[in-house]
Amino acid sequence: MITIAALIVLLPFLGAAGGLLLSRVGGGPISARAGVPTRAIWFAILPTAGSALLTVWLAVQAAKGDGTGAFWDSWFPAEASGQLTVVDTGAVPISVGLAVTGLSVLVGILVVVVALGVQVYSVGYLHGDSRYPSYSAFISLFTSAMLLVVYSGDLLVLYVGWEVMGLCSYLLIGHWWEEKANSRSAVKAFLVTRLGDVGFLFGIFTLGMAAKSFRISDILAAQLPTATVVTATLLLLAGVAGKSAQVPLHTWLPDAMAGPTPISALIHAATMVAAGIFIVARLYPLFLAAQPTRDVLAVSAALGMLGAALAALAQDDLKRVLAYSTISQLAYMAAALAAGSDEAAIFHLTTHGAFKALLFLCAGAVIHHVGSNLMSRMGGLRAAMPLTFVTMTIGFAALMGLPPASGFFSKDAVIAAVEHARLTDAAQLLLYASALVTVGVTGAYATRAWLRTFFGPTQVEALPEPEPGTAHVFDGREAPPSMLWPIGILAIPALALGWTSVVELDLGSAAIDLVIALLGAGVVYAFWRSAPTRDPARLLGPFYGPCARAFYLDTVYAMVFVRPVLWLAQGVVHTDATLVDGAVRGSGRATLGLSRFVRLAQNGNAQLYVTGLLAGVLLIAVGAVVLG
Amino acid sequence: MHVVYPAVISALLFSVGVYGVLARRNAILVLMSVELMLNAVNLNLVAFDVWLRDQLHGGQVLTLFVIVIAAAEVGLGLAIVLAVFRTRRTVDVDRLRDLAEPDFPQPSPNGQAKVRESS
Amino acid sequence: MNWLLIALLAVPGLGTLALLAGRPSTQTPAPATAASQIEQPPSPALAEPPAPGTEPTPSPALAESPAPVTEPTPSPSLVAAPASGIEPTPSSARASDRSRAATRIGLVTSGLTLVLSIVLAAVFDYGSAGRMQLETNLAWIPGLDLRFHLGVDGISLPLVVLTALLTFLCFGYLAGQTTPRPRALAFALLVLEIGMIGTFLALDLLLFFVFFEVVLIPMYFVIAIWGGHDRRAAAIKFILYTLLGSAVLLLGLLVIYAQTGTLDMVQLAARHGAGIARTPQILAFLAIGLGLAVKTPMWPLHTWLPDAHTEAPTVGSVLLAGVLLKMGTYGFARIAIPVLPEGAAALAPWLGAFAVIGIIYGSLACLAQRDLKRMIAYSSVGHMGFVLLGFATLTPVGINAALFANIAHGLITGLLFFLAGAIKERYGTADMTALGGGMLARLPHLGSLLTFACIASLGLPGLAGFWGEMLALLGAYQPGAGQSRPLFLVFMVCGGIGTVLTAAYFLVMLSRVTHGRPDETLAVGVDVRPFELAAWVPLVALTLVFGLWPKGLLSLTAPAVHLILGVGP
Repeated sequence: MITIAALIVLLPFLGAAGGLLLSRVGGGPISARAGVPTRAIWFAILPTAGSALLTVWLAVQAAKGDGTGAFWDSWFPAEASGQLTVVDTGAVPISVGLAVTGLSVLVGILVVVVALGVQVYSVGYLHGDSRYPSYSAFISLFTSAMLLVVYSGDLLVLYVGWEVMGLCSYLLIGHWWEEKANSRSAVKAFLVTRLGDVGFLFGIFTLGMAAKSFRISDILAAQLPTATVVTATLLLLAGVAGKSAQVPLHTWLPDAMAGPTPISALIHAATMVAAGIFIVARLYPLFLAAQPTRDVLAVSAALGMLGAALAALAQDDLKRVLAYSTISQLAYMAAALAAGSDEAAIFHLTTHGAFKALLFLCAGAVIHHVGSNLMSRMGGLRAAMPLTFVTMTIGFAALMGLPPASGFFSKDAVIAAVEHARLTDAAQLLLYASALVTVGVTGAYATRAWLRTFFGPTQVEALPEPEPGTAHVFDGREAPPSMLWPIGILAIPALALGWTSVVELDLGSAAIDLVIALLGAGVVYAFWRSAPTRDPARLLGPFYGPCARAFYLDTVYAMVFVRPVLWLAQGVVHTDATLVDGAVRGSGRATLGLSRFVRLAQNGNAQLYVTGLLAGVLLIAVGAVVLG
Repeated sequence: MHVVYPAVISALLFSVGVYGVLARRNAILVLMSVELMLNAVNLNLVAFDVWLRDQLHGGQVLTLFVIVIAAAEVGLGLAIVLAVFRTRRTVDVDRLRDLAEPDFPQPSPNGQAKVRESS
Repeated sequence: MNWLLIALLAVPGLGTLALLAGRPSTQTPAPATAASQIEQPPSPALAEPPAPGTEPTPSPALAESPAPVTEPTPSPSLVAAPASGIEPTPSSARASDRSRAATRIGLVTSGLTLVLSIVLAAVFDYGSAGRMQLETNLAWIPGLDLRFHLGVDGISLPLVVLTALLTFLCFGYLAGQTTPRPRALAFALLVLEIGMIGTFLALDLLLFFVFFEVVLIPMYFVIAIWGGHDRRAAAIKFILYTLLGSAVLLLGLLVIYAQTGTLDMVQLAARHGAGIARTPQILAFLAIGLGLAVKTPMWPLHTWLPDAHTEAPTVGSVLLAGVLLKMGTYGFARIAIPVLPEGAAALAPWLGAFAVIGIIYGSLACLAQRDLKRMIAYSSVGHMGFVLLGFATLTPVGINAALFANIAHGLITGLLFFLAGAIKERYGTADMTALGGGMLARLPHLGSLLTFACIASLGLPGLAGFWGEMLALLGAYQPGAGQSRPLFLVFMVCGGIGTVLTAAYFLVMLSRVTHGRPDETLAVGVDVRPFELAAWVPLVALTLVFGLWPKGLLSLTAPAVHLILGVGP
């Protein structure tokens, strides 16, 4: 079983290596339909497909037996772990090993399904892109890294995958690097997450040194003092906030939409951002034992879900709407974790992974068709793209939490968990209120995006040339089949995942949520109905500006962190040139200056030298006489 | 004869020589002053040789050495002075200052001020 | 088996002899003119044309040049060099012929050395990596009780192989190019190799010092002759700075000798400081530490490094960053910490403080650099800060980290300097604003390699740069006995911020240089050439190997480190 897990992780890695190194060697045929090297397509899809098949096999194996506990444990009760070797570091050793648990099997399935979908989808999306081989290789590398995070049995090995995901995210966001803006977004994404990861690493240190092992099973089994657990979980939270785009480290995610749409779907909606939630769930006993950490998480989630939802309401860029919605939905998962229900969080993570990936892929199809990300350039696409319309409607319904879509069940589970949360009262109240308000705002922004994209007058003007940095314009009516297939397949779990009913449906709470969501949707519909060409976001009134700019947080960060650092850097260079090196050069100059005095005597007159000699001899003689 | 007479005379001779070396500007006169100092030494050597009744007459032997060396030295010195005079048209030691540190502009025989850049 | 270590030193030595013997007659055009170019140009009033047939007056440069110290018969062409790369070549075809012959000698010699070092790695007993192996102990100067004592253990073995590899790759890189005065360059690089390998093999304090010094002279000439525009100033700064450091180092070594009466490192290390009182230990550690810190370099003794790196030719930069800096840190692991444990314990907080200041300071300085090579040089200050931080923790994990980071830095920064040199050669400048961006479009392979090297250097897990930095921080989390834990926790946090800043400057640089639209008016020449690829691929491969399989190195260093600190595994 552990060998299978290792193969699942390694296959995409080998695919990435092969795709990077071999897909162009010796020319090779170019696929006539996709306009990219055929070999690169094979390198992209086959390993991921292999991983997917093996994951299915692994799931079948893991499903044997009986288990209790969270729903993933009852689904996949069989556990396994194994280690390849132990690296002696001089302190706590690193065990290079994997561990298969119910949770990792569940998330592993999500990852390979989404990854496979994205690989297939990308073949059509990146039609004729000369950089397709490296692009698909990075996706494979990302898949491998994410799977390593999921299956890792050791925190430091997990950290390796964790960081490599960040790198792939950087490389993929910067895929269209001709535009400096994309490049900047990529750098920002990497740096913000890296900042969190430093905290994450220190959290790993704290846990590992306290438990004398970096193995997750050992850490969970160890009896750690509460202070250590609280410190460690708070530090881990920094990394979680970075990767899962939680307040205050969420600012990179909206900018990350500069990458190609499949990347937004894969990394920045379904998998990488889920890694943070996953790791909290993986180490959940620790978080349960650390109430202060969960309070902090609750406040961060409360701020994040509402703020991001409001920001989503005021965006014009369709992908940015989805990005802010991702932050908001991730905050729901964080809220469930803070409330003490990892089941609700993982349930929402799974459904969200499905419906958000679906939404992004649909958005990609729309953008592909329109040639612009802006909703003000869209409208009336219902007739032109019927399949996309249907699937995206399913996605939005799930996002709003409308039955029977999956989101209804998972969101209800989260809110029910928050209602009965075991937190300090103030945090619980804030979280619950925020969660309810956010349901309404979510309904509003989802309705707005849906209406602005598919209804109203048609505004599409097909652009003759592809704009660099956006998608390639496609002049057909509907997206190519390689893009439609993944959309269609993803629509099924987005619709049906809720019926797995892993968590009891709380009918009363569900009814309240539904009413609030419909209320939000209704208000937007009313505004839109009155003037279909105008943006319903005008209902925000004077708050429109702050919401559209995400409450000026980027500006604040630029002023508080970026500029002082750059200013310090200039200062350091100045100091280095004048003070540190100045001291060095100064000592040299001082020596030369001193020597100038000495050489005053050396004026070239030999008689003066002899006089000096004589004076010296006399001095010595007198000295010898007097002192002797 | 008491040894103090030749000793005083040689001291006087030596002092004259020192003065000459330190104060004369003409290189030939400086050389001659050096000779004076050497001969003062010679006088001392001979006088003390007699005074001490040295069996081996080391003083006299050394005197012969000094005379020979002085002759060689004068020959070499005069040759140098001659060579200097040929190139510089002067034997004024005050103006032969090529050994000076380069910071000071030195007058050279052909009237140009040489300033070498400081290293 | 003890011929192996001698052979490691002798092979490059024979190479230098071969270079001297194969000296073509065309290459002795009036040493006086060449020599005078190194000194001030003589003023017309003084310049008397020498009479025909008379020997030209030796210039002060020849008389004062320290080269005779290293080699009894320095070729005048090595010492006296053309000032501005103007080679008095009769014809370019002949020059390239000569260049080939000289580099071929160098290539063969360094290749043989590499083979020997691989043989060394093969016969090395990995079961007892902590023990000194293949020891060679000959009498050297019996009157002073100096011994020609060589040996290799888990700490020095990777460094020896790294040195041999980098030198070979440098020759491989040179083989594809024509350089002015190729014979002299090959000669200098081979002497450099003797010094570097000798430093890592020496087990006698004074022998160590001698090899440590041997390295300086050829490096001085490499910078001063084949360097960039301001090479002379950079070379003088380099030599004065490092010589000053060496003088202090020698003082410290003599303090040890005065206290213990022996210069044998193995004996001294086995004593763990017994026989030296606390105060002399602190003084000796201070002196040795200062001497090594100049070489490492530690903030604030680093300012020779950016100048030297910026001006040095590509191969010079590679060896300087790849190996020379390691000699300083190797000294910490081999001499300062094992021989003077009490001194180390007393001064470790200071070492750690300077190390983290170096990390932050180096990273910030990089953020504001415009010149690519200068930026990489400052990044070395930051990376060596991690190495020093590892040493400062005085824990097994910290010292393992330092030794790992040493090797990783040698591989990665060596690669970075190769790439920076290639960029400078193609664009004619290393100024980032002048490069203009878009390298991934114009030179996709070079741009990709640069991206790889930068990502490796910023410490991405899975590549070699990560493990050293991570373990150094882990060491700082729980410093050695007697160290202030809160202080080291502060160091750890600063180091963590340093890793973010490191990522920041590398990514900003990548964004500026490789991303964006290329300036089509610039002529940049061809993408990566085969000989360059041949020189770089081993470094890329090793970076990956050590990144994915850190055990390969850690299992070598860990036993030796336990021995150094005198603690059980």
